Amino acid sequence: MEAVSPSPSDAPPLPKPTGGKAVAADRAAGGTAGERYHDRVASWLTAFAMAWSIIGMTAGVYVAAELVWPTIDFGREWLSYGRLRTLHTNAVIFGFGVSALMGTAFYSVQRTCHVPLFAPRLAWFCALAWQAGVLAGGISLLAGWNGGKEYAELEWPFDIAITVVWVCFAIVFFGTIAKRRIKPIYVSNWFYGGLIIVIAMLHLVNSLAIPVTLSKSYSLFAGAQDAIVQWWYGHNAVGFLLTGGFLGMLYYFLPKHAGRPIWSYRLSIVAFWAFTYSYIWAGPHHLHYNAVPEWVQSLGMVMSLVLLAPSWATLVNGVMTVAGAWEKLRTDPALKFIVLSLAFYGLATFEGPMMSIRSVNVVSHFTDWTIGHVHSGALGWNAMITFGAFYFLVPRLMGASLHSVRLANIHFWLALAGTMLYILAMWGAGVSQGLLWLSLDDIGELSFSFKDIMASMAPYYALRLVAGLIFLSGALLMAYNLAMTGKGRRTVAASPPATAAA
Amino acid sequence: MSDALGLSALPRLVTQPMAVFKALSESAPEGHRVFFQLILPLSLIPPVLAYVGGSAFGWRLGGGEPLMMPAQSLTLISLAYFFAMVFGLVSSAAVSAWMAATYGAQRAFGTHLALAGLVAAPVILASAAHLAPHVFINMLVLIPALIWSLYLLYRGLPEALAIPPERGMLMATALAGYLLVAIVSLLGITVALWSGGIGPAIGV
Ligand code: HEM
Ligand code: HEM
Repeated sequence: MEAVSPSPSDAPPLPKPTGGKAVAADRAAGGTAGERYHDRVASWLTAFAMAWSIIGMTAGVYVAAELVWPTIDFGREWLSYGRLRTLHTNAVIFGFGVSALMGTAFYSVQRTCHVPLFAPRLAWFCALAWQAGVLAGGISLLAGWNGGKEYAELEWPFDIAITVVWVCFAIVFFGTIAKRRIKPIYVSNWFYGGLIIVIAMLHLVNSLAIPVTLSKSYSLFAGAQDAIVQWWYGHNAVGFLLTGGFLGMLYYFLPKHAGRPIWSYRLSIVAFWAFTYSYIWAGPHHLHYNAVPEWVQSLGMVMSLVLLAPSWATLVNGVMTVAGAWEKLRTDPALKFIVLSLAFYGLATFEGPMMSIRSVNVVSHFTDWTIGHVHSGALGWNAMITFGAFYFLVPRLMGASLHSVRLANIHFWLALAGTMLYILAMWGAGVSQGLLWLSLDDIGELSFSFKDIMASMAPYYALRLVAGLIFLSGALLMAYNLAMTGKGRRTVAASPPATAAA
Repeated sequence: MSDALGLSALPRLVTQPMAVFKALSESAPEGHRVFFQLILPLSLIPPVLAYVGGSAFGWRLGGGEPLMMPAQSLTLISLAYFFAMVFGLVSSAAVSAWMAATYGAQRAFGTHLALAGLVAAPVILASAAHLAPHVFINMLVLIPALIWSLYLLYRGLPEALAIPPERGMLMATALAGYLLVAIVSLLGITVALWSGGIGPAIGV
C-alpha cells in the first residue's frame, strides 16, 4: 500500500537544510556516492524569472499609462499600445511564468525523486534557449511581427524553436521521473507533467500555419474553426500553465514551508484528474454569442461550472494544510504570500465559472471585468505564489538567510494593496462599461456613445495605473532583496538523501 | 453590550483602534443586541446617503448626463443596497464563526458580528461620499477607507478573537477571500438580473 499511494508524510521529503553543514553530513553518510543535485540551473532560472517579471510588469504599467494618456507612444510604432500590450503578456506569461515554472520544476523534481536531473546539460540548454527565445520573440513583437492569435502571437520561426525547447524540457523532466528512487510520483510532478504534455499538444495544434515569409504565416484553420482551436489553446494555456503549472508549485512549496504533509493527499490526486478532464472542454466560454454552435457554447459553460469543484477542492486542501502550521508564519515571511495567493486563487476560480454563464458573460465580455479577472489570477495567484516560492527557494539555493525580512514584509503589503486596487478598479470599470454600453433610451436607441464611455473610464484607469505601480515597486524590492541575499555567493551543493530506498 | 461597542465606539476606530478590539475581546456581547445597536444602524447609512445624493443630483457614472432615476427605482435600489449591507455583515460574521474552529477562535456569535461591523465601519462611514454621486469622488474617498478597513481586519481580528497574530493572519486572509467572492457574486447576480430584464433597460 505504502508503495502505491505515497503516505503524505514521505512526500515531499521534509525540509532539509541545504547549508554547508547539512551537506557535509549527507556526504558523510555517504549513501549516494558523491551525487549532487543540479541546482545552479534552477538558480539562474529564478534570476531570469525575476528579470522578466520586472520587464513584463513595467510594460504593463506603461500600457496602463497609455490608457490614461493615449499620446505617450510619441508616435513611435514600437511604443504603441498594440505592440507593448503583446510584449506585456508574452513577457509575464512566457518570460516570468514559464521561467519560474521551469526553475521550480527542476528544483523540486530532483527532491521528490531523490535523484539528480536527468541530462543536466540539456536542462541548461532548455533554460538558456528559452531565455534567448523569449528575448528575441519580445523584440520581434516590438518590430511588429505578429501571428494574430492571442497568447500565441510569436511567428512561425519562434513556434519551431519553442517546440524544440519544450521537447528538451520534457526529456529532462520525464527522464528524471523515470530514474527516480522513490516509487510513488508525488502530486506536484503530476501537475508539472500535465503542464509539459498539454502545452506541447496545444502549441503544436494551434500553431499549425502556412508560412508566407519569414515574418508572416497564415493559420491552417479558418473562420469559426480557427476561433475554436484558438480558444481551446488559449483557455487551456490558462488552465495548464497559469493554473495547473502553478498548482505544481503550490503542492511542492506549501508543504515544504509548512513543514507538514498535504492535508489530504488522496484529495489532491482526485482533484488533479477531475481538473485535467474538465478543463479541456471549457474553452468555448470565450466564444459566447459568437458564430460557433450554441451547443458548443453550452458545453463550455457547463464544464466551466463543473471546474469549480476540483479547483476549490485544491483550495480547501491548501487552506487546511496551512491552518495547522500557523506557527511557521512567525519565522517564515514567505508563507504569507502563499496564504494570500490561495485567497486570490479561490477568487479567480470562482469568478471564472460565474463569468462563463451566458447571461453574465453577455454583459462582462469585452469589458474590463475580464481584465480584472485576469489579474486577480495573474497578480493575486501566479505572481504571489511565485514570490512566496522564491523567498523560500533563494536563501536555500544560496545557503544564506534572506537579506531583509522587513523588506519582504513591506513587499507583502504592497502586493496585497496593488492587487486589491487593480481588481476593484477593473470591477468598477467593467460593470459601468457593461451598463453604459448596453443602456437603451425610451425609443430603444443606445443611450451613450462609445467614445464618451471610453473617456469616462479615465479615473478607473488612473487607479489601475497606481495599483500597477504599487505592485511593481514591491517586485523591485524583492529583486533587490534576493540579489543581496545571493550577492557574492554560489549555489550550494546538495545531495540526494543517503537513505533513499532503491 | 457595553456602550464602548456601539456606534459611539466608531471615532475611536481611528484614534485607538486596538483599544476598541481589545474591549470587544473582553466582553461577550449578545448577538441580537449587536445586531440592533451596531449592524442595523451601520447598514442604513450608505443606502440613505445614496438615496439623498441620487435624488438631489443624479448619479454620474460618466458618459454624458447624470443618470436621474425616478423616485421609485431609487427607492428600490436603496432597499436592495440596504439588504445587501445587512447580508454582507451578517454573512461575514457567520463565516467568521464557522471558520473559528479551524483557527481556535471560537467566541460568542455577537463577538463575530461586532467584529464584522467594526471592520467594515470605515468604508461604511466613507459612504458619506454618496452625497456627491460622482464615481470619481466616491473612489477617492472610499479607497483610503477600504485600506483602513483591511488594516483593521488584519490587526483587529486576532485582538478581538484573542488568538495569536499568525493565526489571525490566516483567518483574516480567509475572510478577505470570502469577501472578494461575495462581492463578485453580487456583481454576477446583478448583471444576470439585468440580462433577465430586471433593472435598467439594456439591449441584450
Ligand atoms: C475555474 C477556473 C476558471 C474559469 C472557468 C475561467 C473562466 C473565464 C472566463 C469565462 C473568461 C472570460 C471570457 C470572455 O468573456 O472573453 C476568462 C478570461 C480569462 N481568464 Fe479565466 N477562468 C478561470 C480561472 C482563471 C485563472 C486561475 C486564471 C489565471 C491567471 C485565468 C486567466 C484568464 C485570462 C488570462 C483570461 C482572458 C482571456 C482573454 O484574453 O480574453 N482564469 N476566464
Ligand atoms: C504591474 C503589474 C501589471 C500591470 C500594471 C498590468 C497591466 C495590464 C494592462 C494595462 C493590460 C491591458 C488591458 C486592456 O487591454 O484593457 C494587461 C493585460 C494582460 N495582463 Fe497585465 N499587468 C500587470 C501584471 C501582469 C502579470 C504579472 C500577468 C501574468 C502573470 C499579467 C497578465 C496579463 C494578461 C494575460 C493580459 C491580457 C488580458 C486579456 O487579453 O484579456 N499581467 N495588463
